[in-house]
Amino acid sequence: MRNRSNAITVRDLTLGYDRHPAVHHLDGCFAAGSLTAIIGPNGAGKSTLLKALAGTLPPLSGSVSFEGSKAKIAYLPQSADIDHDFPISVEDLVTTGLWQKTGPFGAFSQHDRTTVLEALDRVGLAGFEARILGTLSGGQLQRVLFARLMVQGADIILIDEPFAAIDTKTVRDLMHLVRHWHGEGRTILAVLHDMALVEEYFPDCLMLAREPVAWGKTSDVLTADHLAQARAMIEANDPHADLCERAA
Amino acid sequence: MITRLVLLAAFGLGISTSTVGAIEPIKTVASFSILADITKQIGGDRVSVDTLVGPEEDAHVYDPTPRDAVKIAVAKLVVINGLGFEGWIDRLIKLSAGAPKVTIASDGIVSHQTTIEGHERTDPHAWQDLRSVQIYARNIAESLIQIDPDHETLYRANLARYTEELATLDQDIRSAISAIPAERRKIVTTHDAFGYFAQAYGIEMIAPQGVSTEAEASAKDVARIIRQVKSEKIPAVFLENVSDHRLAERIATESGARMGGKLYSDALSKENAPAGTYIAMMKTNIRELTKALMP
Amino acid sequence: MTTPSDLYDLVIGPFAEFAFMRRGLVGVLALSLGAGPIGVFLMLRRMSLVGDAMAHAILPGAALGYLVAGLSLGFMTAGGLIAGFVVALLAGLVTRVTVLKEDAALASFYLISLAGGVVLVSLRGSNVDLLHVLFGSVLALDDPTLLLLATSASINLVVLAVLFRPLVLECVDPLFLRTVGKSGSVTHLGFLALVVLNLVAGFHALGTLLSVGLMMLPAFAARFWSATLEGMMAVATLVGIMSGCLGIILSYHLGTPTGPTIILCAGAIYLVSILIGRRNGLLIRFLPRAHLSA
Repeated sequence: MRNRSNAITVRDLTLGYDRHPAVHHLDGCFAAGSLTAIIGPNGAGKSTLLKALAGTLPPLSGSVSFEGSKAKIAYLPQSADIDHDFPISVEDLVTTGLWQKTGPFGAFSQHDRTTVLEALDRVGLAGFEARILGTLSGGQLQRVLFARLMVQGADIILIDEPFAAIDTKTVRDLMHLVRHWHGEGRTILAVLHDMALVEEYFPDCLMLAREPVAWGKTSDVLTADHLAQARAMIEANDPHADLCERAA
Repeated sequence: MITRLVLLAAFGLGISTSTVGAIEPIKTVASFSILADITKQIGGDRVSVDTLVGPEEDAHVYDPTPRDAVKIAVAKLVVINGLGFEGWIDRLIKLSAGAPKVTIASDGIVSHQTTIEGHERTDPHAWQDLRSVQIYARNIAESLIQIDPDHETLYRANLARYTEELATLDQDIRSAISAIPAERRKIVTTHDAFGYFAQAYGIEMIAPQGVSTEAEASAKDVARIIRQVKSEKIPAVFLENVSDHRLAERIATESGARMGGKLYSDALSKENAPAGTYIAMMKTNIRELTKALMP
Repeated sequence: MTTPSDLYDLVIGPFAEFAFMRRGLVGVLALSLGAGPIGVFLMLRRMSLVGDAMAHAILPGAALGYLVAGLSLGFMTAGGLIAGFVVALLAGLVTRVTVLKEDAALASFYLISLAGGVVLVSLRGSNVDLLHVLFGSVLALDDPTLLLLATSASINLVVLAVLFRPLVLECVDPLFLRTVGKSGSVTHLGFLALVVLNLVAGFHALGTLLSVGLMMLPAFAARFWSATLEGMMAVATLVGIMSGCLGIILSYHLGTPTGPTIILCAGAIYLVSILIGRRNGLLIRFLPRAHLSA
């Protein structure tokens, strides 16, 4: 076992809605600088897990802990709650990524502006600064959100199904960016459905079917047995379920 | 000796008869507060007066209640103003199925026509002229005497006293107004009830066109009033009926006129002051007028 | 052929002659400065009906003021302000903490508040139309009221400037704001408080119709002229001022009630904007224009 620090440690974590578990007794850790794909069938609790790691969903039981006191986390949710009709420019939206640095009132330096423009360039949207949000295509909007992620400069990046209904070129470009972040030593977790992407880009993988099915190197996780096990997970909540008796 | 006994007996008989007669005061109903007051002045303890439209209520929009019909049913005397003031009274009396004597207080006064809501009507507010109220008092006294002849002396005495008070007040009002310079004897008022006062005592009452009590004002109307007050040099505006108090003040400030106080037109005030009785009401009105109009 | 002096008589003359006309204009100007930007935000957050709801929500506060001090404008307005804040606060809390959204939360509390107010008023026994008494008129702006409007406008501009970034982010991507900062709740409530202040001051000075109408209609019109937030706020303010000028002058010449006339002017500008506005105007959409090369 390599002696690496763990960026995120999860202890006997159970998450859910209305006391029905969506993630059941998850225990383990994400190493610092790892690039992990989180996969599983529908309703497996993947988005729920990211929400808990991002701090927006309190656990039903168990805990989440981060290395270091001030772990900077950037979170890109699935189909973000963004108001597409709001008259905000691309540049302004990406600039909000600097929030953790400047706060609600801090001034923006020239350097900040450069960072934003560079991020836009990186995602292939140079020249889009003044465009209004509502005029962007799905793929373009996703690139803008990735640019914002970049500007946030976080150590831990959580991405939830970023590529649903996105064109192939954008997917390739953005995965390229993810790989670049990985190279910079950031810890990245991504929920994905596309197995081909997982196999191509992600060294580590967590297969979740409410219960953890497998967690480790991608090649070890993506076996026929594991896939069958995951598929057997029952999607619906059991209305007659008893209290869970399991201990850690 | 026998003469003294006879006198004593007559005296005793007289007392007993009058005591028997003095038990029940005459149940009277007055249509509104001003008439109620005048009736009480004439009848004194001999009458018990119920009022339909009470103090600070509006007779123009009054809606009679079943309780009012009951009041009339047990009444011996009903005093109304007449001249079309109580449009609802005839139906009410018919409904009550009583048979009281109905006195029209304004019988015999000289009335005039005026425009009410665009129509030519008889102006009913005759009580604004004190000389007419002397006639009111006399009519009420006559009715009381008819119903209760035993107390004619009392009624005549009260009538004489009250008429005297009215005459004095009438004179006071005239002196007060003559002290106001002639060119200052005009006001703007939202009341349309002072026609008789204007005629009797020589104060011109000007209605503010457009700035009504309910509807929202237009800039045109406000401009018009201000121009009118300025050009005709009207010294005071009495606009307390305008629903927006601040608008009234603005008109006063900008036109240079004084804001007049509260004028009582067709109802007494609830408390004793400042207009608990008819005479008090006229006194407070002339006081407000002189305060506003004296230079 | 209108000569310059005719134009003067028509447009400038009335303002030169009458102080109440000048004051009305200043009042509308002050209102537009603050209300314009706020209206744009309300529109973008789909809270366009808040103004009307708030006009009723303040009743119990005004009623309490009336019970305490009679027909005192100061007490009743202060009471209305407090009631407005309480309703806004509770609505904001419910939106954040429960599953109910903005519109439901606000509607719930304004209904409760209105009913409470009616009961309170009936306790005193009279049938005074409190709300009517509470509301002012653009033709009757005395010095204290003008000062109130000016102060309200200043507070609006300052608070909006300070809250601008959090407010924008809270509108565009509230989830993101929650993950990067804690200012979400404060911003939300601060904005609602600003709306209440603006509305109550507006009611007191100018009445409900004018206050709410000049806040929302110019914002709606602005939608058709600008694509950026800053642009919309500027256009909304401008439209408010124009409606004020036009409305007052028309009320002067035509004798129509001033408040509603101003709103009708704003409405007319709005309808025209729908047709010929440079952004998303209907005519623009239906009139073919040559497209650009790239």
